[in-house]
Amino acid sequence: MSKEIVKEEAPSSSSGVVPAESRPFGSLRGVQWRINLGILPPSSSIDDLRRVTADFRRRYAGLRRQLLVDPHVPKDGATNSLDLVMDNPLSQNPDSTWSQYFRNAELEKMVNQDLSRLYPEHESYFQTPGCQGMHELLAPLLYVLHVDVERLLEVRKLYEDLFIDKFDGFSFEENGVAYNFDFKKFADSVEDEIESQGNSKKVMSLYELDPELQAVVLLSDAYGAEGELGIVLSEKFMEHDAYCMFDALMIGAHGSVAMADFFASSPAAESQSGVPPVIEASAALYHLLSIVDSSLHSHLVELGVEPQYFALRWLRVLFGREFSLQDLLVVWDKIFSEDNSPLDEISDDGEHFSFKLLGSRRGTLIAAMAVSMILYLRSSLLATETATSCLQRLLNFPEGINLKKLIAKAESLQTLALDSNISSLPSTFVGAYNCSKSPINAHNVSSDLVCPKTTLNLVPDSYWEEKWRVLHKAEEQRQNSSEKKTSSGKKKWSERVKFRLSRTESEPLPAIREKCKLEHTLSVRRSLLEDLSKQLGLEEDVETAGCVEVSNSVDHHPAEVHRDGQNCANKGSICTVEDRCDDGSGAVVSEENSSIFSEPPSPPSSVINDHDHENDTEKSSVASNLSADDNYVHQRSIPEDLPQPVSLPPEDVYLNSPHENGSSGKMVSATKEKRQLSGKFQWLHKFRGSIVSEETSGKRGGISEAANSPNHDSKRNTVDSFTAGASSNSHPTNKGDAMDQNMMDTLKHLGQAMLDHIQVVESVFQQDQGQGGSLDNLSKNIGKGQVTAITALKELRKISNLLSE
Amino acid sequence: MVLVLAIGDLHIPHRAPDLPPKFKSMLVPGKIQHIICTGNLCIKEVHDYFKTLCPDLHITRGEYDEDSRYPENKTLTIGQFKLGICHGHQVIPWGDLDSLAMVQRQLDVDILVTGHTHQFKAYKHEGGVVINPGSATGAYSSFTYDVNPSFVLMDIDGLRVVVYVYEFIDGEVKVDKIDFKKTATASAH
Repeated sequence: MSKEIVKEEAPSSSSGVVPAESRPFGSLRGVQWRINLGILPPSSSIDDLRRVTADFRRRYAGLRRQLLVDPHVPKDGATNSLDLVMDNPLSQNPDSTWSQYFRNAELEKMVNQDLSRLYPEHESYFQTPGCQGMHELLAPLLYVLHVDVERLLEVRKLYEDLFIDKFDGFSFEENGVAYNFDFKKFADSVEDEIESQGNSKKVMSLYELDPELQAVVLLSDAYGAEGELGIVLSEKFMEHDAYCMFDALMIGAHGSVAMADFFASSPAAESQSGVPPVIEASAALYHLLSIVDSSLHSHLVELGVEPQYFALRWLRVLFGREFSLQDLLVVWDKIFSEDNSPLDEISDDGEHFSFKLLGSRRGTLIAAMAVSMILYLRSSLLATETATSCLQRLLNFPEGINLKKLIAKAESLQTLALDSNISSLPSTFVGAYNCSKSPINAHNVSSDLVCPKTTLNLVPDSYWEEKWRVLHKAEEQRQNSSEKKTSSGKKKWSERVKFRLSRTESEPLPAIREKCKLEHTLSVRRSLLEDLSKQLGLEEDVETAGCVEVSNSVDHHPAEVHRDGQNCANKGSICTVEDRCDDGSGAVVSEENSSIFSEPPSPPSSVINDHDHENDTEKSSVASNLSADDNYVHQRSIPEDLPQPVSLPPEDVYLNSPHENGSSGKMVSATKEKRQLSGKFQWLHKFRGSIVSEETSGKRGGISEAANSPNHDSKRNTVDSFTAGASSNSHPTNKGDAMDQNMMDTLKHLGQAMLDHIQVVESVFQQDQGQGGSLDNLSKNIGKGQVTAITALKELRKISNLLSE
Repeated sequence: MVLVLAIGDLHIPHRAPDLPPKFKSMLVPGKIQHIICTGNLCIKEVHDYFKTLCPDLHITRGEYDEDSRYPENKTLTIGQFKLGICHGHQVIPWGDLDSLAMVQRQLDVDILVTGHTHQFKAYKHEGGVVINPGSATGAYSSFTYDVNPSFVLMDIDGLRVVVYVYEFIDGEVKVDKIDFKKTATASAH
């Protein structure tokens, strides 16, 4: 913060001689960081610093007393009234102080274990008992403070005479314990000198010192406000200071970047998308990356590398694991020097930033830093063909990098990020967010935003849930509106959307299974789509509208229409039309889904097919729908930027018969062209795609095979392919002709099955960042754990393979 | 803060089948750092059970113990305190404070833990503290049937030891607490 300022002013207050240094408090990182993090005020006088320091320390001491339970300490003097039966050491009563004590001891043991594994190369410092209670974020903070103190000791050694007790005429031995005492006397004299601006030899010599050293000296006085407690640079209070810094870092001091958020697994209260903040932040990264280097971005997205796989670790520990300790300190210097206050930009339509991470200078620097790290690995990333190897490269950030370059690049990207944040719409991740129960539906916004075609719907979750209810009630309404809205989306999009849809729908799946809610779904979808288009009002609008129209015009199974609409609109509203789609509307869908769908469809369709075989018709279609959704959702893993509304109500199994009308097909092709559209569109497309795929899958298991027209865009990731497959299922039918009822049904079943799988995978996926961001991962539903997820994924793969055939 | 369990005279299986269930529920592994057992367990199973509570187990031989390898006396140091263990059937008259004080001087310990009388006692005299945890199962003793199950938990913290006495009276566990401070002199005596 204002170490510089302090530096300047401290001397200036005394003599105004020493000029400010460009690098504030060069070697006193501890103080610098404390200022940056907001603990110490950027005020000029040492006294203020001391006062604030003392305050913080007192607060910490109070906290400590309160929280560190010591069973021996009598409770507020009421020792005798302690109920010994309750409060004895062996008491099983969880309220007794002893159990609290034991609980704390357990925690301490765990922390100690973590600590002992932390920074094994810096053993000498970190293994000492004084490091108890640290945390990976806290570790460097404490280290920094320790370094500061060491520096202080060095300084004292070097400039011994400055610390000599003037009065007595002989110098005290310098040692850590006695230094305060030494200082008192020294400080006394120095203060006097300084204040009086006298020309004593000591003062001169003080000022002759490097300004840094001056600061060191001044900060270590025991004299001044608050006496010993106020020594800004003190060994005794390292624990207090470290805690203060840690606290400031975690809470963010009213800034927009709070580390504590990154550890939360539930969506932040004010988050638009309802996804966990860390997912949102990861999506922010990808968003920035897409702006800066869209080819790398799309490559990553294609491979299915969700940003949170690696970004989670990067963000949560602020790159602590990626750099060596010394490098990390440099990086943190930079990061902390940026201001953390929220930049105020509230877009006119009342929406806030899409990315909270980018809402402050510090946040943008963090994001920019991450992007520059990704760019550093650019060539190796582009060369990889699988998600796993990509992740390997990202997670094992190389040593011996040119840190300065990296930081410089980050700074340049930072301005870009600041700009981008203003214009980016939250819709990108809003829509993606799946309403399925799993709390963390990482929408891989950036990665998924390849086919932005469909506009993202910014409708919040609740909206979709309402929609779902509406749908649920009016199940049979819109079966026939099956529009191939999905087709418009890019394949990936459609796939994703589908998945998402499926996911959202999977939950109500059981309830819906028996019904063909196509029509209902379709209507809802359509309306959703319309809403979406209104809200987004972007280029995609046309397509969306097109989709809508298509859906509207489709007189085939409403399911398909629903699909499309849902895709466009959001998952939530999409019912698993597949299941419901009784009529052969599916066929229509396929037609509409032109090439775009064809490409991806194979995997999904295969998946769907598999599913079909596995489940009974209705069920499978729904499942496949759901699984598709799930997959989709998974892919999106970081739904940050995906608008919530996208998440279809789980129960809306959009069984829309994948009948995509020609119009949707057209739209699809159009969307295809727009692959590189902004993220939000991508999302929407995916959404559509997924819807379509789901529809198709649901509707026609058989068709899927047929439908797996080979138009896959190779670029599309599996999701897309899936959706495409699904849609292709619909495509063929569309293109070909009226879909068979059977086909549609099969597809539906497949879709449902897929959806189920997707959901399972998703749920598991969320916990497992390491899984490749493939469709498969997505398809797993929450719940059983990785094994289940993996199995589900495999099944999905099969299905998609089938579909793609 | 070291928790030391002083327990003994269970006489399982001859005179009692097991500890009272309420005692058993309180004795969970993980909280206690040391166990001092005065003797008369009597079988190996009880020894094993104590081992599960805490790996650091010190036992002295009682006259009915089936394992004859336990020592007659034992001394150990925990924190600032020296503890001595002896079953007590060797000290005649049984339970007599002066005789036990003699044993304490012989072993040169601050805290002497003995048993055999199946009665909880905690004496403080100028030489130190003598603690008798009683019988954990309430087994009848050589001279009385009226025995309440009891045991002792010592919380050693620096120069202070807090003795928690757990007694099972009328179906309820009663807890009592006694504080002892060691005078900070070189020798405890």
